[in-house]
Amino acid sequence: MKGTLVVLQSDVGDILHSKGFLIVAIIIGVLIVGTAVSVPIALNRWLTTGPAWDEAKPLLELFMGLAVNYVPLIVLFSCMATWATDPIAKEKAKGPIESLLATPLTARAVWIGKSLAIFLPAYIIGLIATLIVILTMNLAAILPTTGHFVLPLPEAFTSFLFLPLLMFALILLGVIASLITNPVIGQTIIIFVGVLLLQVVAQVGGRIWWLLASWDYALYNLAGAALLGMIAFYLSRSLSKERIILSSKGKWA
Amino acid sequence: MSDAIRLEGISKQLGEREVLRDVSFITKQGDVFGYLGPNGAGKTTTIRILLGLLKPTSGKATILGEDVSRDEARRKVGFVLESDGLYDNKTAEENLWYYARIYGMAEPAERIDRLLNLVELQDRAKDKVGTYSKGMRQRLAFARAMTHNPELLVLDEPTAGVDPSGQIEVREVILNMASREGKTIFLSSHNLDEVQRICNRIALIDRGEIKLCGELEQLQREMSGNEVEIETTEAIAEPLFAELKSLSHLGLRERKDKVLTFVPQEGVRIPDMVSLLVRQGVEIEGVSKKEASLEEIYSAILKEVEPS
Repeated sequence: MKGTLVVLQSDVGDILHSKGFLIVAIIIGVLIVGTAVSVPIALNRWLTTGPAWDEAKPLLELFMGLAVNYVPLIVLFSCMATWATDPIAKEKAKGPIESLLATPLTARAVWIGKSLAIFLPAYIIGLIATLIVILTMNLAAILPTTGHFVLPLPEAFTSFLFLPLLMFALILLGVIASLITNPVIGQTIIIFVGVLLLQVVAQVGGRIWWLLASWDYALYNLAGAALLGMIAFYLSRSLSKERIILSSKGKWA
Repeated sequence: MSDAIRLEGISKQLGEREVLRDVSFITKQGDVFGYLGPNGAGKTTTIRILLGLLKPTSGKATILGEDVSRDEARRKVGFVLESDGLYDNKTAEENLWYYARIYGMAEPAERIDRLLNLVELQDRAKDKVGTYSKGMRQRLAFARAMTHNPELLVLDEPTAGVDPSGQIEVREVILNMASREGKTIFLSSHNLDEVQRICNRIALIDRGEIKLCGELEQLQREMSGNEVEIETTEAIAEPLFAELKSLSHLGLRERKDKVLTFVPQEGVRIPDMVSLLVRQGVEIEGVSKKEASLEEIYSAILKEVEPS
């Protein structure tokens, strides 16, 4: 546990001081400001035409559902794609990973520490971004015109808990794949599953949109997290220092 | 002295290839032990087994009495691997702090300052390691290896790719660690000159097998072939050379300017050889018993094992 915290603290420091963090922060900032300004304006125009609350409610819940799914998903996905596998590839190629493993740290502590170091900053940024969008949509458009605050409970759980859990499980999977095989494989898994999830949200929003505000959809996310987590922990049975070293550059001499 | 490193019948199979075959040797505490061999001989694999990075297919390896698979063994050993393993984006201080925390040191600040002084990097302590020269990086890697004050230092090619002045600096650091800090040093290298200068014991590995192991001085004596060099004040004349050469028990081999090289037969004493020469009117400047250089030992052993 202590080893995990040491790796976590060091890697978070590295991520926060990296150029990748700056680039991701700027892109996400621009996207969030754009969303926080444009969506309330559009909602205001529609709501001032005076639709009945019963008519407006499901559509507002759909808007909110799309926002609270897309925003954390895009933020977490951007952060993971940028931070998750490239630093591990560099550590494996240049040697720090070998030195790290020659200490009393366990391979599992390195895996969990590195995964948490990617997830926690991404989660915090995603949380802030989602809160900004929810609050601006409600406070600038929905609340003044309808007198209601729209955020169905299942959507809140999905956005703040289950979807992040799903992404954390994906990070665990991507990082372990990067450690025990080629980091390109880890990156491919993250990008493939990430894009798949974006597609799922788009398809659900377009075809069975009422599902977004339901507990069913929240539980699908939780089940997805459990499935990816189980795959990651199954793979962790083959996680060993030897496996990491032999999958790195310069296997033996 | 107890054993610092004990390897008993270590073998390692990687895929189809047997990288180590029945490797056994012992390093005593206080030794500066040179581990020699050509590229691909199995030096790095041995080190990885010592550091618990690879598991031996068979055999037993211990460090200061602890099995290498145990965390306790890794707490007793510091290391400098072939790639220094430093983080370019961290400063020298941050690199050392990171490792100090991994080893669970509570108050490492003073120790880190002392180590940066020892490797003469105190002025660059707050610079990113990415801006360091290869020699400076190696010195910092030594400081990192010493962070938790280990009893044993394992060094894998510590001067590889370092320029000559950097090599001297690194060598001084190693000698300091051994003499001032009293550390046992396990040095893997194919720089024979470096090993000859700083090691008291060596092992030679080739194609995964130990070919030679022992005290360096003793090996040098054994491998010298009992050669004796006698330097005279003037080069001896041809008739005298022929006469001495005819005395087979002296085993006069060659004459190079004023130096005569003998390989005397068993039982022939050096004072007797000197008396004989003096009786022949030869004035003697000096007598030395030749020791084989490490390079000669290395070439001789590797030549023996070369496939015909």
